Order: sequence, then structure tokens, then C-alpha cells
Amino acid sequence: MMKPARRIFGLLTGLAVPLLCVGAWELASRQSAAHAWAFVPVNEVWRSFWALLNNGDLALNFLASLRSMLTGLILGSLLGIAVGALMGVSRIANILIGPLYHMVRQVPLMGWMPLMGLWFGTGTFSKNLMVVVAVFYPMVLHTYEGIRNAEKHHLEVAQVFCFTRWQTFVQVSLLDALPSIFTGFLNALAFAWVATVGSELLFGTGAGLGSLMLIAQSASEMEVVIVCIVAIGVTGCLMNYGIGRIRKWLLGWRYM
Amino acid sequence: MSTQSIAFSAWQYQGRLWRKARLWFSPLVLLLIWFQVCRTGFFPEQILVSPGVVLETFRELWVSGELQEHLGKSLYRLALGFVLGVVLGITFGVGMGLSKTVERLFSPFFNAIRQVPSIAFIPMFILIFGVEETFKIVIVLKAAFFPVALAAYDAVKGIPQRFVEVAKVYRLPTRHLVSKLVLPSTVPPILTGMRLSLTRAWIVLVAAELLAADSGLGQMMEMGRQMFRIDVVMVGVILTGVVGFVLDRGCQWIERHLVRWNT
Repeated sequence: MMKPARRIFGLLTGLAVPLLCVGAWELASRQSAAHAWAFVPVNEVWRSFWALLNNGDLALNFLASLRSMLTGLILGSLLGIAVGALMGVSRIANILIGPLYHMVRQVPLMGWMPLMGLWFGTGTFSKNLMVVVAVFYPMVLHTYEGIRNAEKHHLEVAQVFCFTRWQTFVQVSLLDALPSIFTGFLNALAFAWVATVGSELLFGTGAGLGSLMLIAQSASEMEVVIVCIVAIGVTGCLMNYGIGRIRKWLLGWRYM
Repeated sequence: MSTQSIAFSAWQYQGRLWRKARLWFSPLVLLLIWFQVCRTGFFPEQILVSPGVVLETFRELWVSGELQEHLGKSLYRLALGFVLGVVLGITFGVGMGLSKTVERLFSPFFNAIRQVPSIAFIPMFILIFGVEETFKIVIVLKAAFFPVALAAYDAVKGIPQRFVEVAKVYRLPTRHLVSKLVLPSTVPPILTGMRLSLTRAWIVLVAAELLAADSGLGQMMEMGRQMFRIDVVMVGVILTGVVGFVLDRGCQWIERHLVRWNT
């Protein structure tokens, strides 16, 4: 354990650079009116944060983003696990789906947006679909690899006990694949958040942090943009931390 | 060679051929379905066009030189931003790995910014840099910087200290220390980081071009979307995929060859 004095010192040095950046920002904003337009003064950002918090705009858009992400996360995970498991268990499914999956995956996620916009409009469905696709990719990959790399011994035991195929799948393959699936989920979470914000930003419809940012950008309200960026960053951080804890709690038994 | 082994190798060859062939099976089936669905005329032209039309549009765009221009612009932005991001990222990462002071000063800030998706910075950069070239290069730079910086930092931290100590005991010249120990243990992870950077940078660039640009593949697609030219959009989608694929494979190839030389 570090000594308290050292820890405080470490904290202070860690804060030095961010504070310096904020100071430089504030300095830039005081240069001229033109500078203040892009580099809004710090206290204005703070005021805008309180305003957005009090009138409920922040909460409304944040919850909309969160809902969009969760919907995509749940649907995409289920779909991804199903397809990945199918590919892992059945050779024919792997031959049929594998090449298509790897082909489609090459297109960057944001590249699909114009096509989705044409096919499904720019509404909620398209936005959710983007998140589903973003979650789907890593889930398929990790589920497939998890099942493929299942312990051979476990499969042999299942054979000795004359498990049916379904029993082997549920009680051996899927269980062995769980840590890998969880890693996939961890990746998927990050992708889901990026896809949510990105789709809101690019489609620019409905509520959501991305839409709020886009509107603020076109009205050149830098303070709102900054508040949104911080909110997006903090949410991403918290989700990462939370899922890490859950993972430890759920899968701790494996590493004992 | 006995008949048996000839038969065996023929069988092996067939196996390899079969494996290659089956890779193309489902994409071909999909293409066939696509053709057939277009034949029925169930979907209007604004929703689905046949693969032939997409190919024809590709040819038209290529002959008129429009496609090369967009592609060239996109690749130029990607290259410039990526090179800048990688140079800065390696410098920063190595600095953080070597010096405790730099690490203490910058790592909290670095880790905080790293958490925010690059796409979220697009509106901010547009407000600061305008919608011109600078903004696109800066956003690519930002996207490329973080994976490389992190990889370089981890790589420097991961140089086996015991080997360094042994080298010091034997008074190995610095030249050899670098060529035999430092480079082989840091180059492969940094190359992997660069590959990740390039992929991320490409994704973010396409998004930035979709949002605000006067040229580039992303802008071509966005324009196609607004004009209901699904064929143009499809050419764009396929091309972005191909570019991403080629970049990734190219990096993997470089990685394999460089790493082989070094070890």
C-alpha cells in the first residue's frame, strides 16, 4: 500500500495535465470573441451542464440512448450467441454462414448507415438495427470460438455418460464457452455504445445524446457538445467497470 | 512414391480444393438469390437494384474518374492522419513507458480521453476546426493515436527486465541491446496496435465523411442516399468493405514478415 502522502501527491500530478488543459482552454476563450465562440469559457460549460440537468434534457436524451443501447445489446447478444453456437456445433452451418459473416463484417459499421437509411428510414428501427449488428459481430465470433475450444476431456466425459447431443451442447459446450462469450459481451458493450452514439449522430433523429450533440453542433453551442462528450465518456467508463465486476462475480469460480 | 501416397496426396489436394470452393458457396447462393429477387420486380428500383446494375454503376463511376477521386481523397486523409497519429502515439507511449514522471502526469488524462468513442468527438472538432480538411485529418489522428500509444506503452513496460539486467551485467553495447532485445520485444505489439489503429481510423473517417464532407467515399454514399441512388450507395458500401479488408490484410502481411526478420 502506498503512503497517504504519496497517494495524494500521485493524485495531484495526475490532475496537473487535465487542469493545465482546462486552463489553456480558458485562456484561449479569453483571446477574442472569435475564440470564445469555439473555446467556450469553462464556467459557461458548467452553467450549461446545470441547465441541461435541471430542464431534464440531459436525462431524457441519456435515457433514450441507454434504451436504444440496451435493446440492441439484448437482441444482438441473443442473435449472436444463437448463430455462433450453431456455427460451432454444426459443420454445415459453419460452411454456409462463415464466409458470409466474414464478408459482411469487413464493411465498417458506419458504412452501412446510408444503406440502412434507404431501406429502413432514419427512425428508431434503423438506429436499433445498427446497435444489433455492432453487438452481433463480436458475439458470434466469441461464442463460436468458445464452443470450438471447449475442453476435449469434458466432451469425452459427456460421451461416456451417453449424453444426448442437446445435453452435451447445453451442459458441456455452452458452459465451457461461457468465459469466451463473456469476453465477447464485454467487447460488444463498447461497440454497442459507440454504435448507439454514432447512429444517433449520423441519423440525427429522435432523442439521444448523439442527436443532442448534432443539434448543438449545428447551433454552434460548444458547451452542450462538451457536456455530451463528458456524459458519453463517463457512461462508457461506468459500464466497463460494472461489467468487469459482474464478470469477476459470475466467473470467479473458474479461476479458483 | 508409392501409389498409395500419390492417391493420398491427390485426396489431400481435393480436400484443399473443396475447402476453397466451399468458401464461395454461400456468397454465390446469396448473389443468385439477389439476382432472382430483382428479376421478380417485387422491389422498386429505389430499394433494390440487381448486381448487374451495381457493376454497371461501378464501371460508370470509374470511367468518369469520380470514383478514383473520392477514393483518393479518402485514402489521402487516412494516410496523413494515420501517419501523424502513429508517430505521436509511439512517441507518447514510449515516453510514458520509460519515464515514471511522464506516466504519472499523463496516464489519468490519457485513460479518461480513451474512454470516449472517437465518433463522439466529431461535433467538437467540427466546431473547432470547421468542416474542411483539417477536421478530418485531426479526427483520423485522434482515432489512430490511442491504440498505438497504448500498445507502445504496454510494449515498453513488457520488455523483460531480467534480460536487461543480464545485458547490463555483460556490458552489452547499447546498439546490441536495442537490436537484440528492445526491438524484438516491442515491435510486434506495436505493429498489432498499428493494425487496430488503421481499422479504427478507417471507420471513423467514413463516419466523418458521411457527416460533413465535400468529397470522399463517405460523402459519395451520403449523396447517393439523398438522391435515392441505391446503386451508388452499394458501390460505396462494397468499396469501403474492400478497402478495410485490404488494409487489414496488408497490415497482417507486413506484421508477419517484419516479425520473421526480427526474430
